[in-house]
Amino acid sequence: MRRFRFGVTARIVAVLVVLGVAVFPLYWMFVTALSSNSDLFADKPRLTPDLGQFGVFVDALAEGKAGGWLLNSLIIAVGTMVLSVGLGIPLGYALSRFSFWGKALVTVVLLFTQMLPEALMVVPLFALFRRFELLDSLTGLILVNSAFVLPIVALILKGAIDGIPKELEEAARADGARPFTTLTRINVPLIAPSIAATAVIAFFHAWNEYVFAVTFIFNPDLQPASVGIANFIGELGTPIQTVMAVAFLFTLPAVAFYLLVQKYVVSGMTAGAVKG
Amino acid sequence: MGNQRAYLGLARATCALGLVATLLTGCGSDGGSGDGVTKLTFAASTFGDPGRGPLLTKWLDEFNQSQDKVQVSAAAVPYPTFGQTVLTQMGSGKGPDLVRFDMPEFEAASDAGLVAPLDKLVDASKYDLLKQPDQFMVHDGVRHGIIFEASNYAMFYNADLIPTPPTTYEQFASTAKSLTKGDVFGLAFRQTEAEEAGVWQDIFNYVYGFGGAWSDGKNLTINSPENLKGLQAFKDLYDANVIPRGADAATFRRMFAEGKVGMELNNGGYVTATRGQNAKLNFNVAPIPFPVRKQGAILAPIVVNEASEGKDEAGTFIKWALEPQNQVKLQEILGASSVATTTQRSPETLKATPFLPVFDGLTETSLPQIVLGFEAKTPDIRKVVVQNVVAALQGKTDLKSALDRAQQQATELVR
Repeated sequence: MRRFRFGVTARIVAVLVVLGVAVFPLYWMFVTALSSNSDLFADKPRLTPDLGQFGVFVDALAEGKAGGWLLNSLIIAVGTMVLSVGLGIPLGYALSRFSFWGKALVTVVLLFTQMLPEALMVVPLFALFRRFELLDSLTGLILVNSAFVLPIVALILKGAIDGIPKELEEAARADGARPFTTLTRINVPLIAPSIAATAVIAFFHAWNEYVFAVTFIFNPDLQPASVGIANFIGELGTPIQTVMAVAFLFTLPAVAFYLLVQKYVVSGMTAGAVKG
Repeated sequence: MGNQRAYLGLARATCALGLVATLLTGCGSDGGSGDGVTKLTFAASTFGDPGRGPLLTKWLDEFNQSQDKVQVSAAAVPYPTFGQTVLTQMGSGKGPDLVRFDMPEFEAASDAGLVAPLDKLVDASKYDLLKQPDQFMVHDGVRHGIIFEASNYAMFYNADLIPTPPTTYEQFASTAKSLTKGDVFGLAFRQTEAEEAGVWQDIFNYVYGFGGAWSDGKNLTINSPENLKGLQAFKDLYDANVIPRGADAATFRRMFAEGKVGMELNNGGYVTATRGQNAKLNFNVAPIPFPVRKQGAILAPIVVNEASEGKDEAGTFIKWALEPQNQVKLQEILGASSVATTTQRSPETLKATPFLPVFDGLTETSLPQIVLGFEAKTPDIRKVVVQNVVAALQGKTDLKSALDRAQQQATELVR
């Protein structure tokens, strides 16, 4: 009985520790946002939020355009997610199921693109986007983010499709299904967890992206939150509470999105780990 | 039946993609105006400063209210990546119409032909321009910029903690050490590679304040004995643990405003920012107490982008900015900084900020933070020097070896 209690207590403590480690950064952002100037640099930091400072959130939303930035981030992230997953599924399927000349080379090139830092591509892509009049638009950011995240999406989905027995498709074809039907009716439902996982990857990539957003967007009304937060970092000063308030608001949609899809992501990560 | 389902699925997918495309098309920029008003963008990192940014935006509003054909809006580009971002945009034939640059980026941009000559847009001879800073705005007889802000470096000190300011380096160091207790630090400066431009500004005062220089105008002198002496003084303070190590400028300036930092070397623009953070702080300013009275100055020119389609209208804005009453307003916004032309500080201003003459008295001995003779290469040289100095601070190498290495690397860069 005593051993049982000890085990339960240990588990509860372990869960609380893990929860604390995961949640603490978010909590600390919230506390910092709601700290007075004197509390901010006090010898002993304040551990609980000062709710009297709540106006910082109101100011960030009302004066700091945080609402518009978050909406722009949401459009970019969702657009990137839809485009990259939408293109990644047929690409992954083609790489998995079809034999064509240069297939190995295509796979290597896709991997190679993941090794290029964004900063290296800013100048050539800027010139290219200027020619196609894609600068200063959210569409341009969706395209560039999709271009960067598509290879990893396609390769993950290729791996997932590799794990599906070909016999299932052959049976569908025997019933008269065409490749498109086979993909949408047979493969997509079976790789749904992997699709969810890649959707999360694409969403977070676009949600956090900064280098292209800061260079390709001139209109302040079109800036995403990643750039908007950086705008508070001035040459001579930075309003830390405001930065933390906007950063806290910036984190919430991403956390909410992850919580919505996390059960699919976990099963997507383990999909194919054990083959029957 | 199977085919029908497939076509239905295809139609659904097409509709969904069309919907997304329609949504995205609506997300683009509106392009420009069609009502005969030229809309210009003015990029300046100071628009993000908590103290000065809102006031500068109001100053722009005054211009907009005075015009019916030109409108200027603030382009928000974050300070940490300002130079890199704007130079990338300008280099590709786009970017803001008007830019407030720091000197290293200004030199690089004008050397690359990214900045429009101003001679035809603005008749500079009509204005009483401050000669000392203005000389750096002209390259080979061609004017590329007009001073937006000129600001000398001085020593800010917390007057509650330091009743009598130090007048020698030894006093400066001992004051910093005696003040450092608990959560209070005697001094603060930038010391991480992440703040490359800021570290360069800070070490500039130590190098020139100890009789050194980055070049003799023709050759680089990064590892000269005088430079080593100045940077050793900088490193000694770092090693003495009298600064909040790891804290970036934004953090330690907030600490200064909260009375947690005793001294800081900074420029006149900092006065407004400090008051904006804590109006009650009792601080004062004195010349930097180093052996040689020579210090850095923030020179920030306003330039017109060569790729701008509204150069004449940009010239209209600069001419408006140079009008005496608008210069006075700008100077009041910028605090203890100077502007392009000679302006008189009002008795009310001097009463509110009695130390303004300290800044004014430093103008003749202040230098822009560029490498003379290698102006356009300053960003590259800066990177090499800062990397090596930071490596020495972190104990990866000794300071002399770091400067020798910087000298060698920078010489290869400018060869």
